[in-house]
Formats: sequence, structure tokens, C-alpha cells
Amino acid sequence: MAIAEPHTPVIVSAETAQRRTAWWLTAPALGLMVLILLVPVVIAGLLSFTDYSLGNDTFNWVGAKNYDRLFSRSTYEKMFVATFIYVVTVVPVSVGLGLGAALLINSMGRIGDIYKTIYFLPVMATLLAMAIAWEFMLHPSIGMVNRTLEMSCGTILEIIPFLKNGCADRFPLWLGDKDYAIWVICFIGVWQGFGFNMVLYLAGLTGVHRELYHAAEMDGAKSGWERFRLVTWPALGPTTVFVVTISCIRAFQVFDTIEAFWPQGGGPNKSTYVMMFAIFEKGVQQNLIGIGSAITVLFLIFVMFLTLIQRWLVERKVHY
Amino acid sequence: MKFTTSAMALILSASTVLAEDKVTIEFAYPYSHLFDVTYEAMMPAFKEAHPNIEVKFRATYESYEDGTNTILREAVSGNLPDVTMQGLNRQQILVEKGIAKSLEPFIAGEADFEKDGYHDAMLSLSTFGDNVHGLPFSVSLPVGYYNMDVLNAAGIDKMPTTWDEVIAACETMNANGVDNPIFWGWSITGNWFMQALMWSQDKAIVEKGQVTLDSPEALVALEQMQEIFTKCDMQNLEWKAALSSFSAGEIGMMFWSTSALGAVERSQGDFVLKTGPFPGLGETPKGLPAGGNAAMLTSTSEDPAVQEAAWTFLKYITSGDGAAEVAKTTGYMPPNKAANEIILADFYEQNPNKQTAVDQLPLLRDWLAYPGDNGLAITQVIYDSIERIVTGDATDMKELQEEMVEEVSDLLPNS
Repeated sequence: MAIAEPHTPVIVSAETAQRRTAWWLTAPALGLMVLILLVPVVIAGLLSFTDYSLGNDTFNWVGAKNYDRLFSRSTYEKMFVATFIYVVTVVPVSVGLGLGAALLINSMGRIGDIYKTIYFLPVMATLLAMAIAWEFMLHPSIGMVNRTLEMSCGTILEIIPFLKNGCADRFPLWLGDKDYAIWVICFIGVWQGFGFNMVLYLAGLTGVHRELYHAAEMDGAKSGWERFRLVTWPALGPTTVFVVTISCIRAFQVFDTIEAFWPQGGGPNKSTYVMMFAIFEKGVQQNLIGIGSAITVLFLIFVMFLTLIQRWLVERKVHY
Repeated sequence: MKFTTSAMALILSASTVLAEDKVTIEFAYPYSHLFDVTYEAMMPAFKEAHPNIEVKFRATYESYEDGTNTILREAVSGNLPDVTMQGLNRQQILVEKGIAKSLEPFIAGEADFEKDGYHDAMLSLSTFGDNVHGLPFSVSLPVGYYNMDVLNAAGIDKMPTTWDEVIAACETMNANGVDNPIFWGWSITGNWFMQALMWSQDKAIVEKGQVTLDSPEALVALEQMQEIFTKCDMQNLEWKAALSSFSAGEIGMMFWSTSALGAVERSQGDFVLKTGPFPGLGETPKGLPAGGNAAMLTSTSEDPAVQEAAWTFLKYITSGDGAAEVAKTTGYMPPNKAANEIILADFYEQNPNKQTAVDQLPLLRDWLAYPGDNGLAITQVIYDSIERIVTGDATDMKELQEEMVEEVSDLLPNS
């Protein structure tokens, strides 16, 4: 007769049970995160290796052909150049102006609030609506900008070569000129963006202790520049890292002005054909999902790269 | 906006009358700046004739490209309108993909369809494999717009008939201090002007499924454009800015579609405007592409009442009184003999500027679609290339032609 094994109940330790509950409780959040954030990225990644066109039932795998075209066709070369010029111009200028405005406003009393509001206005206005206003102002013959410039003709101001040439021949077309278009876009980008940076810096400045300035002064930092270099700038380190990263990402994402000015083509000679517009044109306007996805993936890599640099800087403890 | 409100008011007021057997159809059209006034003029009579059909207007398409793309996307997401207006050159892809329905069953049900007077030549623009898939709504041809005040002031009293004469006129105007002698509509939708220069030489841009950009005629077209742009010192104006500059009286000659005539006349400054036939390459053009749009039935409704209502609306706007409004409010020609010859009998005598395009009707040719799924992308490649001529970025036309051929071949079905 076999001896019956004593039936031992499975004992789950309290720790395991707790861990399991924790997993159960986080599962919905994790699931949603994967579904909403990661799956689309993976799908875009997969589609970038196909020639899928919206509305078709099938597609072919084309390997790295889309990426190959991105790096060999002159159109995409223009895309990289335009994006690069925009980011490299707008980020430093808007960060610099933002910091400058914040410092000036901070040194003022009540009246600073008025400036704060004024500088922040373009940030609150929709860029798309503002683009339409700019389009009117920049009209080559009946626009406000060229009309104003024309007023300088025949006056002493004509000694400036730019005005002299404009009066003799004609003033720039701005939006229709391949040499000016990207700079107009950069200008509008700075105009629109620096107020936001200013607000971030103002918040950063409130965290700088007054005592530090007094201490620096006692230690011999007499001039304003010395105080800025020794106290303000280091104390604003973390803010600066954040502001630069945000500005970079926003600069990479510029789209609405270009879509408003040049719904077809991305500017004269594709001189303002930035990545975001290229994604829109290929993926949405022309239904070429394959190449659109390839640009999207590249875009993600750029932004990811920027974020990693930020992480690295923060971990190096920029805060002193 | 004004139109939307009035259309909504119409819908609201009508819906109280016959709420029970009311059929709602949805409709979308392109180019609100041209056509808002047309539908505004057309709808009251339609409402009166068909009180139980409610037409819901969707947001307008910005351009033909946008219209086609929107329909392609709506076909995927399953919310197609019942009737849509599509550029004549964009019908093919919708027919190939089975989105636009054949109109033959409805035509068979009409007793006197031929008598309604559709022009055969225009109906053929929408016929695919013996089946009519669309009824042309408005047809246009390229014409020259001349500001006679600017021309006369520069000492020119004759409208040019060839591009060489246009260039000579430009040079005279430049010498006489006209800052902005010309706007040549290279940027018009669907590479229309490229096709116009090709058809002028009697060459189709698509032959037997092949894009003929590598032909000598294409090179002639590119070189002709370069000559116009450089010798006329043409500014690279965005087309809406150009239209407003012309209306303001600043541009001497504008080459554009006759379609904008209504819009230009409405905002015209104080000057004498004349239209003239589209100039040719050394001689009168041998052909010109038909622009414009056609009404297509894209209804996915199973309900025969909706289908019937959509057909009624489609037929109304393309024939008779409905179509006559097209000519009255825009510079387009109605595709319909009844509208052209009976209702509009003395209209053209009173509006000689609108007559120019009608005179060119014998030259009417197809506005060709590029083969395959990538038609929209091919249009963009050609657009970008011509833009490089305007901005002076491309100087060697032979080289530009080779680049165009290469980029277009990337996008053709067999690449």
C-alpha cells in the first residue's frame, strides 16, 4: 500500500504576493504605454522598410531603399540643410534673447510685468494665425514691410547698402526669394519662441539667492558682468540645459509657418523644406507612407539623441 | 464663411418643411475663393426644385491635389462624401481604385440625357473604358490677362500671340520703367502650364503609360520657360500674391487659367482688363490642356434614395441653369451646350473677356494624369523642378531634364 504523500499547500511568501499585486496594478498603465507610445513607433519603423501607400491592400518590402533615397537625393539634402540652419539659428538666438529679456525684466520693478506680458504675447498667439498676418506684411509690393522700407528711399538712410540696392532695384520678395525665405522663417521662429524661454529663465532666476550676490560683492565681484558670470549663469545651469533642450526640440518641430506660407513645395527651391514638413508632405499629402516613415524614424533618432545629451549634462551635475 | 452660414441657414429653413422624407447628401468642392459664389448662386434654385434633398457642404479642398488626397484618405477611413468635385486630371486614380462609381446606370435611367446637351468633347474627359464616371462641372483653358493701361503706357497696343512677342513686350515694359511686367503661372495645379507648353507642340506628357519628360518637346518647354522667366525678369510671386498684385494693377501681363477671371474682376482696380488667347511657341498652339473639375459620385450609401438624390444633385449642377451660374460667377466655361448656347446666348457678347476661352475650345485636350499611385508625388517633382528655373537655381535645362526624368522614374509603378 502506497503511502499517501501529505498534501502541502503552496505557500506564497508575502513578498511575492506583494510584487504580483504591484505588477497587476501597473499592468494597465504599462499596457497603455506600450500600445499608445511604443507600438506606433515600432510600426513606423517597420513601415519605413516598405513601399506602402495609403489605400493599398498590399505592400512590398524594399529594404533600406527609402533610407538610401533619403541620403542620395538632392531634395532630402535640402531638407537636412534647411532643418540644420533653422535649429542652429533659432536655438541660440531665442535662448540668448530669452535670457537677456529675463535679466532685464528681473532688474525692473512693477513695469517689468508689462514687458513680460508683451514678450509673452507671440507665444500665446497661434503660430498659424500669426503666419497669415506675416504673409500679408511680407507681400512684396503691397505688404507693410516693403512699404516701410520704401519710405527710406531718398533719405539719409540710403547710405545703408541694403536700402540703397532696394531703392535702386527692388526690395526682396522675402517669401519668394530662396536666399531670404529660411531667414524669414528663422526670424518668425525667434520672435515667437523667445518669450517662452524668457518665462522659463524668470522662473529660474527666482531660485537664485540674494545672499549669493552679496557674498560675491564682498568677495570683490564689483561689476554687473562679474556677478552674472560668477553667480547668475552657474545658478541658472539646470534651467539652461532644460531651455536649450526644449528649444531644440521645438525648433526641430517647426511646421505651421511653412505650411501656411508654402502649402505646396516647402518654400522657394525647397529652401525651407524642414523635416516636419517633409514628413507631412510625403506621408499625408502624397500618401507615400514608406518614405514618410523613414523620415519620421530619422527625426525620432535626432530628438532622442538630443534628449540623451540632456540626460548626460544633467547627470554631470550642471547645478553647482 | 458667409456662404457657409447662408448654406446652413438654407438647410435649417428647409428642414422644417419636409422632415419625414428628407434625404441628406454630403458634398465637397475645391477652391473656395473661386466657387463659393457659384454655389451660393446655385443653391436657392436647387432647394426650390428639390425641397426634400438636403445638401450638406463639407469643408472645401484647398486645391485639386488636396481634394484627391482627402478622398483617398476618406476611402480608407470609410467616410466618403456622396458627391465630390475632382480635378479633371485626378479622376483616373479614383476610377482605378474603384472609389468613383460609374454613372452609366443613372444615365440609362434618364430618358433624354443627350438632349441635356453635354458636350461630347468634355464628356470624354470623364469617360474611362466606355463608362462615364464623372460629369464635367467647369472647364477652363489657359489665357493671357492684360492690363491695357500698363501696356499702353509702355507703348504696346497689340496683344502678343507668341512667347517671343511676350518677351519683346516685357523688354519694352522694362525699358519704360514697368517694375513687374509679367506673371507666368508655372505654379498652377497639376503642372498645367508644363502640359500647356507640351500640348502647344502637340505632345502629350503621358503616352502609353510612359511620362514623356525625356522627349525633345519637354526640353523645348523647359527652355521656353527659362527664356520667359529670365528675359522678363519675372519675380517669383506666390500665385495668390500674384493674383492680388495683378488685380491691384501692378502687373502688365498675367498668364493663368481663365477660371480666375471672375475673382480677378471682382477685386479689379481701376484699369482696363483684356484677355487674349494663350500665346504659342512661334505659332498658334496646336492644343491646350482642359482644366477644371468634374462631379463624381463617391457615395457608399446602400440606400437607393440617397444614391438617387446624389445623382439628382450631380445632374443639376452640371446642366442647364446650374451650369450657367458657373460662367456667370467664374471665368470657367460650363461643359454643357444647353448652358452655353441657350441660357448664355448674349452673355458672352456682354462679357468678351470670358469669350476668349470659348474661342480656344477647338484646342481642348486632356489634362493628363500620371500613371500609378504616385501621381501626386510626380506632380510635386515637376513643380519643384520648374521652381528651380524661376529662382535661377537651375541654369542648364538639359541637366535639369535629366534630373527630372530620374526622380520621376523613382515614382513610376515599375521602378
